[in-house]
Amino acid sequence: MFRVILYSQWKWSRLIVLLGSVAGFALPLISVHGAARADSSPLQAPELLHAVQSWGVLYPVLAATLGLLVAMASWTPDHRGRHVYALVLPVPRWRYVLLRFGAGALLLAAPITAVLVGALAVLVAFAVFFAVSAGTARTAGIVLALIGGVMLVQVITNVARVDLDLVGKLQLLVLNWPGPLAIFTGRWMLIDV
Amino acid sequence: MTNAIEIQRLCYRAGRTFEIKDLDLHVPQGAIYGFLGPNGCGKTTTIRLMLGLLRPLAGRIELLGSAVPRDVASILARVGFVPEQPHLDPMLTVRETLAFHAAFYPTWDRPWAERLRAQFELPDDQLFGRLSKGQKGKLMMLVALAQRPELLVLDEPTDGLDPVVRRDVLSALLEYVSQRQATVFISSHLVHELERFCDWIGVMDDGRLIIEVPMERLKNGIKRLRIGGTPATADNAPFVLLAREPANGSGETWLVREWEPHMATYFDGPGVSLHEVIDLDLEEGFVELLRTFRGPRA
Repeated sequence: MFRVILYSQWKWSRLIVLLGSVAGFALPLISVHGAARADSSPLQAPELLHAVQSWGVLYPVLAATLGLLVAMASWTPDHRGRHVYALVLPVPRWRYVLLRFGAGALLLAAPITAVLVGALAVLVAFAVFFAVSAGTARTAGIVLALIGGVMLVQVITNVARVDLDLVGKLQLLVLNWPGPLAIFTGRWMLIDV
Repeated sequence: MTNAIEIQRLCYRAGRTFEIKDLDLHVPQGAIYGFLGPNGCGKTTTIRLMLGLLRPLAGRIELLGSAVPRDVASILARVGFVPEQPHLDPMLTVRETLAFHAAFYPTWDRPWAERLRAQFELPDDQLFGRLSKGQKGKLMMLVALAQRPELLVLDEPTDGLDPVVRRDVLSALLEYVSQRQATVFISSHLVHELERFCDWIGVMDDGRLIIEVPMERLKNGIKRLRIGGTPATADNAPFVLLAREPANGSGETWLVREWEPHMATYFDGPGVSLHEVIDLDLEEGFVELLRTFRGPRA
């Protein structure tokens, strides 16, 4: 029963859920991107926090918009049918309402998760930044080893006259949006702590 | 005989002008009950009250022995309903619509639903919103029948459908009824359609039930009588006098119901004679009934 309700609501809400998920994922990333300075000079931590905070108002706006649209979409099939078929289904009305509510809540899980992932990305960004800036020998060694390994492969392929721009491709793939490390292209890597 | 639908002294009001007042209605188990009435007379409202979609102000409604609205959820599991308008989800395909309803009805008959879908030539992957009016009508009937209900409540199920689709829909309905001995309550203003297969008839006008009789009695009992002379009263008549009008010349024309041939002796008195008994078909009878009902109130 829940499965078919969920499916019918998915058909009405899928665009909202998908756009909401994208927005939910993008918002934390954009808020970090927005902290970058035009002159590429190093950012101070308070500046970064202020920049991220200034985007904070969009989270409740996004939540309210998503909640509103998904709630509307939950009842749209019934409103379209003037509730006739909904009310002649052989289930108590309170149960039917719970089924619709549950399906809507489950559909919202996607954008909620996206926001969490986005928020997590912010946290990861912060964590990586702090790790690199803290500059422990071990961290620096791992990072350098990884970079060195890639460079070594690149050099070897160049010597072997293999047409492979490994560094360039990796850079494009990883650092450009929507690459998983695109968040690191912000200037916040240069924050002084 | 027990009644599949039993309504007693039902009252409902919508706005200032529309009212259902003291409605009594009895649909015997296994009957095909035609619920006739002009547009706006309260047929759909009565059906909505029966199915618990509206709350009555007063009165008692029982479907299949259980009270509405108290036991409405369990009752609805045994009732197939075809509403007046195509109210199914327009975003679901035919297949998805069937799957949706199958999940709610424990008695849903999947093989039969599939057979009906093929018989009705309904495209599996077509959205309900993109089906033609005839296809929508067929799908709604399919949804109602595949539940294998004990009672079918049909609110003008063939209204606006072309004759071919109407025949398909009604054939499927009659096939089911003959197999299952289900009760059918079918509302319509298409008198000829009901005349073909209903065995009971109820006529409603202006929120009131004018008459509720077996179809044969209504069909055979409504007559127009040409009478010579002018009887003073019809107080002791063995039939029900619905209307009397002066005819050309000295006589009168009477419209009566519950007429039987032996009643012609009623006119054997001095100065009065029965000249002719004219049969009325159901539609004429229906129109005359409405005219009579409205006449004294106008």
